[in-house]
Amino acid sequence: MSNVEKKLSIEERLALVVFNVDEEPHIIVDVSKCDTCDLKPCLYVCPANLYTLDENGKIQFNYEGCLECGSCRVACPNDAVKWNHPRGGFGVQYRFG
Amino acid sequence: MSEKFDVAIIGAGPSGLTAGYFLAKSGLDVVILDKASELGAKNVYGGRIYSHVLKKYFPEYKDEAPIERWVRKEQLYFMTRDSAVKVEFFADKGFLEESFTAYLTKFVKWLGEKAENAGALIANGVRVDSLIIENKKVKGVIAGEDKLIADYVVIAEGANTVLLDSLNLKPKTKPNEVALGVKEVFRLDSEKINERFGVNDDEGVAALLVGYPSLGAIGGGFLYTMKNEVALGVVVRLDEPARKRIKMYDIVEEFRMHPLLKRLLKDSYMIEYSAHFVVERGKLPDRYLVGDGYLVIGAAAGFELNTGLIVRGVDFAIESGKIAADTILEAHSKGGSDRNALSIYLKKLRNSFIYRELEAFRKAPEFLSNERIYTKYPELLNDFFREILTVDGNPRRLYPTLRGIMKKKKISLLGLIRDGLRAVRSI
Repeated sequence: MSNVEKKLSIEERLALVVFNVDEEPHIIVDVSKCDTCDLKPCLYVCPANLYTLDENGKIQFNYEGCLECGSCRVACPNDAVKWNHPRGGFGVQYRFG
Repeated sequence: MSEKFDVAIIGAGPSGLTAGYFLAKSGLDVVILDKASELGAKNVYGGRIYSHVLKKYFPEYKDEAPIERWVRKEQLYFMTRDSAVKVEFFADKGFLEESFTAYLTKFVKWLGEKAENAGALIANGVRVDSLIIENKKVKGVIAGEDKLIADYVVIAEGANTVLLDSLNLKPKTKPNEVALGVKEVFRLDSEKINERFGVNDDEGVAALLVGYPSLGAIGGGFLYTMKNEVALGVVVRLDEPARKRIKMYDIVEEFRMHPLLKRLLKDSYMIEYSAHFVVERGKLPDRYLVGDGYLVIGAAAGFELNTGLIVRGVDFAIESGKIAADTILEAHSKGGSDRNALSIYLKKLRNSFIYRELEAFRKAPEFLSNERIYTKYPELLNDFFREILTVDGNPRRLYPTLRGIMKKKKISLLGLIRDGLRAVRSI
């Protein structure tokens, strides 16, 4: 029953979180601004690992699974992240916050 | 919906609900708007509330509030990958009622009921997109197609200040002014919690953990015992992960694999993973807290404090909600809602414990940005204890042992003294 013996992947942990996913993305990333970004803080700060690099080294982003912390919005040095909360009632539903 | 209220409050967290409660109680028409479909579903924090403000404003909290455990043990850990030095303060009843662990999700449900019973209208599932601003005066809020007119708007949107930032009502949040907290909650029988942490039913532990928990980054770990769960997490200053090339979602799991935590959490089951901002600004925010027709309260106003030993937010939030309510009631009785009429908010804040304490600890973030606190010093402490507790026929006296480790770790005595003085002066 216990699931704590080993590290849990981010996918395993996100599966424990209740989401009511909005069809309308609440975060839009202008990835054209990412090419010149050396630091790419989004790759490191996102607690849900929603920012990844594809095989060409381009930023890929998916809003589903967003924990709505706001880190990418504040950490992005190029204002590439257009961030809003999901529409009312949608998004993450914490039970033990 | 195109309605008119005396007061519109954006955000149903501890600050917004407290403001709404007191305003409605005094007979004003109050609406509290919140993006979550259910109260508390977007609220996340570490796990502890200091009760002094509740004693003052909601003395019935002891019987009513969703208290998990009263904090009876305060622990500070200095950790390396495979060892830990723990400082613990235990006190019997008396200290017992100073703070308690709780889920903020459940706590705001309780506070929300109070606000509703006092007559405030809580509109759930409403995301406020913008403010109605005419001639630089805030006249209400915009949510999707709906506009809502209000004489006073209270911005209680929390630490992630999307609205304030988007309207340029405050300087844009910088990565070194906030920290990201991630939390994992583990279900564990209350009997086992009692045994492993050495507490009775209803008694709990609050721990801060320094060094390995943040993998040496500016930040730290926390642990709170709930009734049937343990809440564990890591808070890291937002500019640190990229600088150190460590991933936030991995830090907390790395920390959890520490042999000491493995023992504490054995046989438990992780039931939730969450993330939220913590404000660590240091300087007093003053300038953006009042404007024509609006006030800013709670974490949105920057009212959070981390001294390295104590982490607080909810008590500041509640106090600022009460002060905002007092301010609006006073301004309302005189018929004013412009910046001038509302500027008594700042005066009241300055006379409150919020400013007294934020002012006293304003140098804490600067002190806590010293990297040695998270790397060399926990290692020094652990190596020191490991050495002096070793028995193998070679005598190890305290001072020569300490100097030997300092030499190996390249820690100068003068630097250590300087950092020590800095600690004494700033926290």
